[in-house]
This record gives sequence, structure tokens and C-alpha cells, in this order.
Amino acid sequence: MGSIEEQRIDELLELIWTMEEEGNRVMEDIVDRSDDDMARSVLEKMENDTIYIAGEEVKFTKKGKKIAESIIRRHRLAERLLSEVFELESKNVHQEACKFEHILSPEVTDSVCTFLGHPPVCPHGKPIPRGVCCTRFKKEVKPLVVSIKDLEPGDEGRIVFITPKEHARLDRLGSLGIIPGSTIRLHQKSPTYVIKIGETDLALDREIAKEIYVKKIGG
Amino acid sequence: MHQHHKEVMKIGKKVVLVGNPNVGKSAIFGLLTGRYVMVSNYPGTTVELMQGYATFDKETLLIDTPGVNSLLPMSEDEKVTRDILLNEEIETVIQVVDAKNLRRGLLITIQLAEMGLPFILNLNMEDEARSRGISIDSKKLSEEFGVDTVATVATQKKGINNLVQKIRDSRASSYRMEYSRDIEEGIKKIEGILPDTNISKRSIALMLIAGDKSLSEWLYKHLSKKDISRIEKIRLDIQRGYDEPLGYIINTQRLECLDGILEKAVTRSETDTFTISEKIGSLSMHPVFGVPILIFVLFLMYKFVGEFGAQTMVDYFEGVIFGEYVNPWSIKVVEALIPVGIIQELLVGQYGIITMALTYALAIILPVLATFFIAFGILEDSGYLPRLAIMVNRAFNVIGLNGKAVLPMVLGLGCDTMATMTTRILETRKERIIVTLLLALAVPCSAQLGVILGMLSGVSLKAGIIWAGVMIMVLLVIGYLASLIVPGKGSDFILELPPIRMPHLENIVVKTLARIEWYLKEAVPLFILGTLILFTFDKIGLLSVIEEAASPVVVGFLGLPREATAAFLIGFLRRDYGAAGLFALQMDGMLDPIQILVSLVTMTLFVPCIANFFMIIKERGVKIAILMVSFIFPFAFIIGGILNFLLRYFEVVL
Repeated sequence: MGSIEEQRIDELLELIWTMEEEGNRVMEDIVDRSDDDMARSVLEKMENDTIYIAGEEVKFTKKGKKIAESIIRRHRLAERLLSEVFELESKNVHQEACKFEHILSPEVTDSVCTFLGHPPVCPHGKPIPRGVCCTRFKKEVKPLVVSIKDLEPGDEGRIVFITPKEHARLDRLGSLGIIPGSTIRLHQKSPTYVIKIGETDLALDREIAKEIYVKKIGG
Repeated sequence: MHQHHKEVMKIGKKVVLVGNPNVGKSAIFGLLTGRYVMVSNYPGTTVELMQGYATFDKETLLIDTPGVNSLLPMSEDEKVTRDILLNEEIETVIQVVDAKNLRRGLLITIQLAEMGLPFILNLNMEDEARSRGISIDSKKLSEEFGVDTVATVATQKKGINNLVQKIRDSRASSYRMEYSRDIEEGIKKIEGILPDTNISKRSIALMLIAGDKSLSEWLYKHLSKKDISRIEKIRLDIQRGYDEPLGYIINTQRLECLDGILEKAVTRSETDTFTISEKIGSLSMHPVFGVPILIFVLFLMYKFVGEFGAQTMVDYFEGVIFGEYVNPWSIKVVEALIPVGIIQELLVGQYGIITMALTYALAIILPVLATFFIAFGILEDSGYLPRLAIMVNRAFNVIGLNGKAVLPMVLGLGCDTMATMTTRILETRKERIIVTLLLALAVPCSAQLGVILGMLSGVSLKAGIIWAGVMIMVLLVIGYLASLIVPGKGSDFILELPPIRMPHLENIVVKTLARIEWYLKEAVPLFILGTLILFTFDKIGLLSVIEEAASPVVVGFLGLPREATAAFLIGFLRRDYGAAGLFALQMDGMLDPIQILVSLVTMTLFVPCIANFFMIIKERGVKIAILMVSFIFPFAFIIGGILNFLLRYFEVVL
């Protein structure tokens, strides 16, 4: 755990990342949005180390980007963990996750990521930066969240996230009620995947089933 | 149906039926109008719009729209439905909901409520929901949405009167869903830009935020370029906050909201008992038991269509009705009334319109097709077809298609011309092209199949197996190659499985009649055209010229007698006639077993009848049709030649 100073820097790096995602890099806006009264002077201290200031805009240095990315990753994974495992309400998730992001070590972060099935987005739909664990295939931790293809016929699961290759597919699944939060039951895997959602039976290609991640219910 | 299309669209009072696929919308429509409609289980069959005047009020026009899962169009069908709601002046919308699938249905309800159109919520198949332990508090639903709710069981005609009464005092919903702040702000901004229309600005704003590209035409008609780019900017600003597409985010928020309503309005009691239909449904797609069921279904179909239709019925129609009555009588009448020789020949000669085209279309094809349509209708209404699609999905993946393509392929065994038209149900151009090609190439139609099976049974089972093996090989190899060559991509296999149901005789009859009507209107003229071409060729002596030119290939390469050339030529104009020509040669003892097999393989692969060729032009365009034919012609002969060579080289005894 770092000093108070480091924590303040971390908070600002996180804020700069989030605002950059929204397309805003303006220094004044960052200072406005920050909870830190001393934001301006902290930013000035960070200059040329983790950030540089170009005109009105704040940009990451290579180092700063790396640190920010890992904070964001920890924060959003923590949000996932809190909402999936402890089923915390979404409005409390953010605050609690802020505490987590400072205490997760890199090893634990990767374990959490694996445990959750390498989720691509946080509960609010923002992207989670990928870690080393996401590209490597190892299953030392038994994942809590698995793809439908890893379920057995008869298993039930609540959809946690969907990672489609095409947006059109996501829309299509969505209109059939296949969205995070919906409960599905796997009926069969061969010759084609058949899942039941509500009272509707749906046949899916394995390729699509693979992209739907669920948290098993019971068992 | 089409002639009075325009005229009826002008009538003031319009009631539009909207709903998910397979909710019994067409059945409700049928009960309210009493006019004939197509009722179907297979997703995508209700492509055309059904319209009719209400039985309860002759001034009211009912419009049945294609089934949709969202009013944010993702397919042509969904666009049609949305456009009707957007553009027509509508008195009332009846939203038909499958009571047991309330969640999916209410997703549309929210969108209807947003549009501000007056509507009624019709909970259909209420009996099925109840038997599954789902009970719906319709009063609660009415309160939540501020519209009337009517429960019906369309198949038993229950609740229809109640529905009719409620149509009069339908009203717009008072329900208003609150989206997340960023989206609500976007809606407000876009509402300020939009012009007044039939439906609320809020609903259009939501469609635009969701990224509905199908609205662009409407936008350009009503707004300036500047306004359109302003809207796009608002949309992009909201999208920036999300990784997933906004359409999906909006959908997710709607479903979250719905789940709150469902919690209040629906109670479930556990019913662990499996109904018989569920049991059959699940067996029919079982990886092991599904196969014998599939074979059994195909066997029954063969018995009914292949034996009863193609043999018993055809013998009667061709031999007795046309052979003993229609044709001799027509010949007499024509010869008595028209003394001109050439016209006599045109009507009742060897290639005459009555003696060839109509005899063929009505006496040979019609009985086969009629039995096929009946069998197919039963398969459709029983809910078995989508399960068949599941069974064959993987095999179809090899050839760049998915299980949905099984529908036109099976239809092809009835009539390739008709099947080529139904390739419309496939989602992408690539899939349509592949199926059209395979149909033309390797799927024999029932008329041809009858003659082929007859000839093969005269040789040996081994010959039959080789013939079928070659066809399957060609299907797989050419399908696979086509999937590599044809640009574009396949579609996702996401298929809804309706429950297994007992088909209703009434629906089957209605559907079969509608399809026969289609056949008579669309296909029969093509047979007449084909015959006219044949007649002309014969008259100007072109037939014998082509025969002469093709002989070296037929005799030298395929090892067949010269006379077989005529059979191939005629085979293009009338597929089974070609086969029948070969059959005559076999009867005369002019073909040895290898020659029979080679000629049959070549004939099957050969371009289907001319009617099919015209249908390919109509559906796929001239360019693709010509490309296909110029591939199929040489290909059929090459495969025949190779087969001839192999059989002789290895001295196969058939």
C-alpha cells in the first residue's frame, strides 16, 4: 500500500483514464471532476512522470498509462467481483471497489479475473483492460463464471456477460431476452446447443453458446 | 391478394396485429377476418403481409404483420412491421403475446407504449401457460401499462368476442419507462430536432439512439442533413460512455424494468411433470434417438409423397383423367374447331400446350406437389421442422450453411422451382446462392425421383447406393467449394423451437390450398413457356442440330447410345421427361446397367427443368443464373464421364 500521496496520484490517474474514455482530456474539467481539492497541484507534480500537459489537455506518459491501466483493471474487476459474488447493489459497487483497487496484488488480480471468467466489461458496461491471464489458458482457479459450452445439460445459470464478435449478434440475442441477468437452462449440447430461456427453447451454434458466460445456479 | 392491395390501404380504420414469431398471431387474424391465411411455425414463413376486413365490422381493415422480436429492425420482416407502425394511420394495435413467454412479449409492449399508439394486450395461448404453472395477473398488467388485457386461446376460439369488444375502446398506454440519465438527456435533445409524426418523438429518438440504420430513409425525407448529423453526434456522445452498442444497452434496461413488472404480475408454481409433447420434442432432437425419428419421418414422407402421390395419384391423373378423357377430348375439340395444322400441333401435338405442358403440370407434378405440401404442412405445424434443422445443422455447416437451409433443401425433393423461391427465408445472399446452386445441381425433384428410383430398382441396390453416394458427395464437395468461393458470410444459427403440437386439419388444408394456388399462378406459366420453346426448337429443326452436336460427348465420353442425347435435351425442358426418355431406352434393352447408372447420374446433375431456370433468373438475377448453368452443364457431363471411366476401369458389376 502506498503513501497518501501515491493514493491521490492513483485516484487522479483513474479519473484521467475514465474521462479519456469519454473523450475528454481537458485539464480544467479534470480538476473540476476530481474530489481532491489539491488536484491541480498534484497534477503539476505528476507532470513529466506519469502525465504530460499539452496545451489545455492532459495526456498519459507510457509509464502513466501502464499504471492507470492496471488501476482501472483492478477497480473494474473488483466491481465485477462485488456484484457477482456478493451481489452488492450496483450503486454501492463503485465505492466499495475503490477500496479494493488499492489492495489487490497482481497475482490476486489475475486470479479474480480467471475466477470471473475473464470478463470483458465491468457491471456498468465499461471495458476492463485485459491482463496476462486473459490470453493465457490456464485454469488453476476453478472459475465461478463459465461459458455455456462448459455447462452440462440440465445445468442452470444466470447470464453474467456476453462477448460477441459482432454487434448485430448481440442485438439479436438481446431481443430474444438473452442479456446479463437472464436465467437460462442448458437442454442439450449435441447435435446443436439448445437452451431454454423463460418458456422459449432456442437452438444455437456452439460458436454462439461459447460467447455467453453464466454463473451456475445451484450445484 | 396483390391487386386490391393499394385500394385497401386507403381505408381509414386500420387495426394492426403485432407480436413475436409463433404466438398465434395469424390464427387470431384468421378468427377476426375469417379469410384464408397462412399459419406457420417455421420462423420466417410469414413474409408477405396478410390483410382482410374484420367480420365484426366491414369498415375495419386488419393487417397481420410479420413476427418481430423487437421494433428495432434487424431483419427485413422486422422493418416491414416497424414501418407499418411508423407510416400508417392506425386505429388500434393488437399486440398478441404468447402468455407463457410474457417477458419477450412485453419487450415489444414497452416499445408500443413508447410509440403512443392505442393498443390492446392480447395474452394468447393462455392454456399452455396455465398448464406450465404460470399464472398471470392480467389486472396488474392492465394497471402497469394502462391498456386493456384480453386472454385468448386462439386454437379453441376462446376469448375472441371479448377481444373484439375491447378493440373499440383501446387507448394509448400511460406507461413511461425511465432510462439511464445519459440516454434520457439524449432523448430530450433529439426530440427537439424531430418533426411531428404518427408515433411519439420519444420512441423515434430512442430508435435513433439505439442506432437504427433502417430509419435513415425516413430521416432524409423529414430532416435536413445538418439535423441528421446533429442527431448522430448526440448518439455518439452517449455511445462513448459504453463499450457495448447502445441498442443492446437500451434493450437491457428495458428488460431490467420488465423484470420488475413481471415480479408483480406473474406467479409460477413448479410443475415438474413433462408433457408428452415436451417429451417428443426433446427426443426428436436427441443426438441418438433423433436419428431414427428423422429416418422414420422421412420414410413416412416417402410413403405418402413418393408412393401414394407420385405413383398411385399420378397413374390415375395421367393415365385415366388426362389419358382417357382430357387429352383425347381436347384433341377432338381442337381438330374440329381449328383447321390450321400448326395451331393444332401447338395445342395438342407432341409438344403441345395441352398435351404436354398442362398434362405435365397438372397430371404429373400437381399430385406429387399436393401430397408434398400436405406432408410439409404437417411437419411445419407440428413444430418438427426446426428440430430437423437442429439434427442437420452440423452437416450443413460444412457447406457454409446452417440448419435453416434444410427447409428449401427438403422442399427441393418436392419441386426445385418452388424450393428456389423459398430460399428467400435464408438470411444472407451467400446462403441463398449456395442453396440455389445445390438445388439446381444435385437435388432431384419428386417427378424425376420417381422415374430414377423406378429405373434403379430395375438394376440393383448397389447401383442405387452408388447413385445416392455420388449425389451426396457432389452436395458436400460443391457446397464446400461454393462456401469458399461465394463472397459474403453465413448467418448465425439462432433458431426458436416452437413446442411440438398436434397440427390442425383446417390449417393444413388452408395452407396447402394457398400453396397450390401459388403453384398454379407462378409455376404453371413457366411450364407453358418451356413447352413453347421446345415446340419452336422442334419446328425450326434446332432439336436435331443440337442432338447432332452433342452426340460425340454423349457417345464417346459417357459411353451412351446416340438416342440418349434427345433424352438429355428434353431433360432440360422437362426434367422427368428426360428421365422418362432414358426409361424408354432401358425398356427397349438399349442400355446396360453401367449405362443406366451413368445416364441417371448425369441426368440428375444436369440443370433442372426450364421452369427452375427461369426461377433462378427471377430470384438471383441473369448473371448468376448464367454462371450457374455454365458450370452445371459441363460439370454434369464430367462427373458422368468420370463415373463411366471408373466403373469400366474397375470392371464393376452392378
